[in-house]
Amino acid sequence: MSTAVHLDEITKRFPGVVANDDVDLTVERGTVHALLGENGAGKTTLMNILYGLYEPTEGTVHVDGRARDFDSPADAIDAGIGMIHQHFMLVDPMTVAENIVLGNEPRKWFGTTVDRERARQEVIDLSNRYGFDVDPDDAIEDVSVGVQQRVEILKALYRGADILILDEPTAVLTPQEVEELFRVFEELTAQGKTIIFISHKLGEAMHAADDITVLRNGKNVGTVKADETSNEELAELMVGREVLLEPKAEPQEPGDEVLAVRNLSAEDNRGIPAVSDVSFDIREGEVFGVAGVDGNGQSQLVEAITGLRTPTEGSISYKGRDVTDASRRSRIDDGMAYIPEDRHERGLVMDFDLVQNGILGSQHSPTFAADGRIHWSDARDHAERIIDEYDVRPPHADADAESFSGGNQQKFIVGREFEREPDLVVATHPTRGVDIGAMEFIHERLLDLRAEGKAVLLVSSKLDEVQGLSDRLGVMHDGELMDIVDPRNTTEEEIGLLMAGERPDADATDAEPPVGDAK
Amino acid sequence: MSTTTIDRLRDTELSYRATLAGGALSVFLLIALLGLAFPSSIWGNLLAILTSRSTLSSALRLSVPITFAALGGIFSEKAGVVNIGLEGLLIISAFTAVITTAVVGPEMTVVGLPAIWIGFFAGVLSSVLFSALFAVVCIRFKADQIIAGLAVWLIALGLAPFAATVYYGGVNTDNLGTTLGTWTVPVLSDIPFFGALFDADPAVYMMLVAVPASWYVLNRTAFGRHVRASGENPKALDTVGVDVSRVRYAGVLLSGFLAGIGGSALSLGLGQFVGNNQTMVNGKGFIAIVAFLFGNYNPVGAFGASFLFAGLEAAQIRLQQVPGYGVPDSLIQTIPYVTVLVVLALVGRTRIPAASGEHYDTGDDNR
Repeated sequence: MSTAVHLDEITKRFPGVVANDDVDLTVERGTVHALLGENGAGKTTLMNILYGLYEPTEGTVHVDGRARDFDSPADAIDAGIGMIHQHFMLVDPMTVAENIVLGNEPRKWFGTTVDRERARQEVIDLSNRYGFDVDPDDAIEDVSVGVQQRVEILKALYRGADILILDEPTAVLTPQEVEELFRVFEELTAQGKTIIFISHKLGEAMHAADDITVLRNGKNVGTVKADETSNEELAELMVGREVLLEPKAEPQEPGDEVLAVRNLSAEDNRGIPAVSDVSFDIREGEVFGVAGVDGNGQSQLVEAITGLRTPTEGSISYKGRDVTDASRRSRIDDGMAYIPEDRHERGLVMDFDLVQNGILGSQHSPTFAADGRIHWSDARDHAERIIDEYDVRPPHADADAESFSGGNQQKFIVGREFEREPDLVVATHPTRGVDIGAMEFIHERLLDLRAEGKAVLLVSSKLDEVQGLSDRLGVMHDGELMDIVDPRNTTEEEIGLLMAGERPDADATDAEPPVGDAK
Repeated sequence: MSTTTIDRLRDTELSYRATLAGGALSVFLLIALLGLAFPSSIWGNLLAILTSRSTLSSALRLSVPITFAALGGIFSEKAGVVNIGLEGLLIISAFTAVITTAVVGPEMTVVGLPAIWIGFFAGVLSSVLFSALFAVVCIRFKADQIIAGLAVWLIALGLAPFAATVYYGGVNTDNLGTTLGTWTVPVLSDIPFFGALFDADPAVYMMLVAVPASWYVLNRTAFGRHVRASGENPKALDTVGVDVSRVRYAGVLLSGFLAGIGGSALSLGLGQFVGNNQTMVNGKGFIAIVAFLFGNYNPVGAFGASFLFAGLEAAQIRLQQVPGYGVPDSLIQTIPYVTVLVVLALVGRTRIPAASGEHYDTGDDNR
C-alpha cells in the first residue's frame, strides 16, 4: 500500500485564529479516511488546503509522494484531486451529462461544437464502471439529492480524480441514500481510488472509514483504525473529555394536552402546498419529534404553529385555546418559545450585541420594560446570566452577535428561549452546527424541561437526535405526516423508509426493507 | 415533491404555449374566412393587408432591430447580466452609423468598402464599446445591473440627439441620401408573397442567419453551455475551472455586438437618424426584452415574438391608410403594444436564469 496524500506539519493561520496547528495527516491509497471533529475543529480548512483553495501558512502537501504547491483548485485537479462540496455545484436545468462534462466538453468539428454523443457515451461508460445508477439525460432538477451527489462524484472522476474529498457528504441524505453512498465508497476504493470524507458523526466514520483522524481545535489528536476503536474513544478524542453519547430520557407519564394541531395545511412562499392535512398533539412532559429530510414541510409546519405563517386549512389549539389566527406576540406572551432553524435569519440580529439580542421577543414584557422603556441594566444581567449558564464563549455581552461562532450563537439562542420559562418549546434543529459538547448540554436541557412538565416539539433532520429524545416521533414526507411511531421500538431503517415516502404495508413489515434505487 | 411539481409546471407551460399559438392561428383563420366571405368589409381589408407582400417586407425590416437586440439580451442575461440598456445600445449605434457615414462622405468608398458599410461597422463598434463600459461597471465594480442598464439608455438618449445638435444644429441628422439598399435574389424574388424574403435589406438576411446561429452557439457549443451555466449557477462553472467573469464579459459584449447590428441597420435602412422624443428607436430595445422573455430565452422564440410585433406594427401602419372607419390613428398605433401586453399577461412561466442579475464573487476570500 502506498501513500496517496501526506500532509506534513500543516499550519494555517487566519487573522486572530489558528485554524490548523501543525497537523500531520497520512492517507493510504485505496482506503476510506474519515476526518472527524467538532465544528470549527479545522477539518474543512485542512481539506481546502489540500484542494488548493487555501495556501498553508506553514507545512507542505505531498500527493503521491511528491511535494506539491497548489495555487488554485485547478492545480489540485491536475494532481488528481477532486472535491465534492457540501453544497453541490450543479446547474439545475442542465442534464446529468452536461453537468459532468462542464468545462471539459469533448469537441468536434475543429473544436466548434460539443460532441454530445461522445460526452453521453463517456458518462455512461464512467457510471457503468463504478456501478452508478444515473441516467445521463435526466435534468439535475428532476433527480434526487442522492443522485445529484453521485453526479458530483462522477464529475470529479471525469476530470481524472484519484483522490476524492467529500465535505459532510451525508448531511443531506436519507439513511438509505447514506447506505448507497457508502457502497459507492467501497466500489471506488476497490478500483484504487482514495476517499477522504469530512464528518462530525461518529457512527458514520466508524461504519464507512478504514482509518479515522480526529481533529480538535485545529490539532490532529489521533489517527486510529476504525475497527480498533470505539464510539466512546472517538467521542473523547473529539471533545477532550468523556461524553454521554446517548441522551437518557427517564420514562414519565405525560400530563394534559398543551398543543393540538388538527388537519393543518399550509403553503410555502411560492404558494405551493407544503404541509397537507397534518394532525398531532403534544402533552405536558412530552417530547414530540418530527423527523424528515429537510424541505419536506417541517419549516412551514413550525411557522404555522409559532404564528409566522397563516395556515390555509386546519386549526391549532394551544393550552386549550384556539390560536390558529393568534398573533406571534400573543403566542410569545403565552409561553411559546421558539428556536428557529436559521439562526442568522430568525434567531439573532447579527449587528446587535448579546444584550440586545437577549431580550428579543421580550422587549415589551414587564420584566424588561415595565414603564414602556427598556431597562438596559436588567437586560444586561439577563444576557450575562444566559452567557454564564449556557457557556457562551467568549463571554462578552457587548460583542455583536456576528462575532460569535455558529455554535456559540446557537447556545445563546437556546438559552434565551429556555429562560422564557415556556410551556411549549418549539425547537427546530436545536443542535445544528454545534459541537458534541454543546449538543450534549442542549439535549440535557431539553430533557430537564421535559422533566419539569413542559411540552417540547423537536424538529430535526438528525435521526439519532429525534429518535433519542422523543417520546413520540412523527415522520414527514412531502408535507404529509406519514406516521407517528414510538421511536424506541422502531428501527432507523423503518424511519428512513417513511422519510423517503414509503408507507410500510401492514402485511409486509417483516420483509427485508427494500434498499436500492434512491431515486 | 420537487420532481412532480416541476413536471406539472412543464406540462402546463407546454400546453399553455400550445394554446396560445393555437389561439393566434384561429384568430388569423377567422379573419381569413371573414375576409374571403366579405371582401369589401373591414375583414377583407385586413386579409388583404395581412397577405400582402409589402406587409411581409416591412414586417421583416421592422423586426431587424428588435430581433438583434433580443438576441443580444439573451446572451447577456443567459450569462447572468441583466441588460436593460439594449435601448441605449440601439440608439448609440443608430446614431454612430449615420454620423460616421456622413463624416466619411456618403458617396465615398474606402479600400473598396462603401461609406455606408463603414458607418455600419462603426455603429456596431460603438455599441460594443458602450456595452464594454456597462460590463466593467456591472462585473468588475458590481454595480446594480438595473441601474447601470437604465444609465446606458439615458446616456444614449441624451448623447445622440445632443451630438446631432452639435453637428447639424437639430436633433435629427440630415438624410444621407443613401441607404443600405436591398439585395435581390433573382427568380426567387418573383415568388408571390414569400418573394419578400428574397428582395430585402441586407440586415434582414443577417437576421435570418443570426437567429439560428445564436441558437446553435447557445445550445451546441461549449461556450454556449458556459454562458448558460454562468447564469444559472456560476459557482458550478467556477469550480470546474472556467472563469465566470470572462464568460459574462463575453455575453455582454456579444449583446453589444448584436444590438449594434440592429441599431445600425435601423438608421441606415432609412438613411437618417431621427432624434425626436424617444428617438427613432422608440422603445424597440424594451420591446426586445419582452420578445426574448416571451420566447423564453430561446433565439428562435425571440425572433417569433419580434416578428409578431413587427408584423402587427407593419399591419397597423397599413391600416391607418385604409380610409373610412373613423378610428383615430393614434388608437390604431397602440395595437402592437396592446397585443404585447396581452401576450405577456397570457404567456405562462418564463424561466429566468437562476443567478441572472446577481454578482458573482469567486469565494477566494471566504473564511
